[in-house]
Amino acid sequence: MDNLLSEGLNLMVFGMGFVFVFLTLLVFSTGVMSKLVNKYAPASEPKPQRSKSNPKVQSAGAGAKNDELIAVMTAAVHKYRS
Amino acid sequence: MDKLLNLFTASGIYNISAGQALMIAIGLLLLFLAIRKNFEPLLLVPIGFGGILANIPEAGLALSAVENAVHFAKPEVLGMLAGALGVDSTDPQALLHAYKAASHTLHTAATDVALDAGYNNGMLYNFYLVAIASGAAPLIIFMGVGAMTDFGPLLANPKTLFLGAAAQFGIFATIMGAVALTMTGVMDFSIQDAAAIGIIGGADGPTAIYVASLLAPHLLGAIAVAAYSYMALVPLIQPPIMRLLTTEAERKIKMHQLRHVSKTEKILFPLVLLILVALLLPDAAPLLGMFCFGNLMRECGVVDRLSDTAQNALINIVTIFLGLSVGSKLSADKFLDLETLGILVLGVVAFGIGTACGVLMAKIMNKLAGGNAINPLIGSAGVSAVPMAARVSNKLGLEANPQNFLLMHAMGPNVAGVIGSAVAAGVMIKFVG
Repeated sequence: MDNLLSEGLNLMVFGMGFVFVFLTLLVFSTGVMSKLVNKYAPASEPKPQRSKSNPKVQSAGAGAKNDELIAVMTAAVHKYRS
Repeated sequence: MDKLLNLFTASGIYNISAGQALMIAIGLLLLFLAIRKNFEPLLLVPIGFGGILANIPEAGLALSAVENAVHFAKPEVLGMLAGALGVDSTDPQALLHAYKAASHTLHTAATDVALDAGYNNGMLYNFYLVAIASGAAPLIIFMGVGAMTDFGPLLANPKTLFLGAAAQFGIFATIMGAVALTMTGVMDFSIQDAAAIGIIGGADGPTAIYVASLLAPHLLGAIAVAAYSYMALVPLIQPPIMRLLTTEAERKIKMHQLRHVSKTEKILFPLVLLILVALLLPDAAPLLGMFCFGNLMRECGVVDRLSDTAQNALINIVTIFLGLSVGSKLSADKFLDLETLGILVLGVVAFGIGTACGVLMAKIMNKLAGGNAINPLIGSAGVSAVPMAARVSNKLGLEANPQNFLLMHAMGPNVAGVIGSAVAAGVMIKFVG
């Protein structure tokens, strides 16, 4: 019985901890990937640029006006699709 | 007259047990809910129908060859089975018990005996072996879900992954609930059972079936039915919790437009995810591997035919067999049990806790971001259930402010929830599998 309780607690603590660690790493690696892509292969040229994950990348400024327009359009398209 | 009597003793009316009648009624109820109330009809129609088929008396559609042989109980066959299984008694109950506990070798030997005696696997049992016991159907469906998923909103705002993580707390809290029920002696769940029940809180059908088939196959029917029923009930379960935990002002928060996400990013994301899985959690590789594969087919743009098959024809075919196979687990002796009731109660608790944790996490993130950037309503979408949960967030947002469209913002945590529950599944398979 006590064994079951400790197993359950273990599973909860480690499981939840691991889910958070994993998704935190995913947030970082996704961020790095996005920055690298926007820096080295912006828009039209789909050329995969995967160097080793190097977190000290400066943010590539997003062209504000155009991006906003595209975002609005994608949102509209998605809304239509769903 | 003898012939007539024979016909009668072989009929369903003569042989039906109360449990089977009740299970057929439950199958009809599932069909009613699916057809009239539109509760996840794509799954509940096959599951409900499979449940009815599995409970037709004497047909033995959901039974293996050995179970069929034991059911018809010819003394000489029982004797041979007892020999193959290495038990002394030829009592049917004892034989079935030994059959279930048997090692793979004895299992095969018993099956050979039954086949030689002219008994065969029931149709639904064969479907179950191919679709679920092999693990194939949930994984193929996951591939199709990957091919249907657009990670654009998630990539535009990767922080929403945290919402998908927080909502998985429902899974782990439910495990503790199942443990508590066992400790107090109300029910008897092993830690594997508890983990499989908890995954209902992930609100992800294929993941729940995959985990249950690995950790607790005897509970699979109840777990799958609970998971799909609660997914259909998301629009009823979530809003009260969301309203309770948020203020009117918070619900009115308008979120910024999402930035544009380039095609390259979308192509690279499944690969990044796959590499992380490979490095950190190989146990989640079957689920997330198929998911990433499906998504890559969608986004890479050069295999549209494959992507189209994965998200339409293939997923439909597999859904039919998955549903019937789950239905085969709705036989009276396995489903009519106090444990099923416990699973149904724990499942809805898991959903509630997951929703609450997602909303609370969104509130925290909103506070950290200055108090006017993240609408806490999108947090509830962290419990996967794509796209229902995101629609619920959107609906509540519109109620608070008719100009506030949260759907795209909620899709981020929504797909994050799919990844989160697959990761949670991997962790549980690793720890208790």
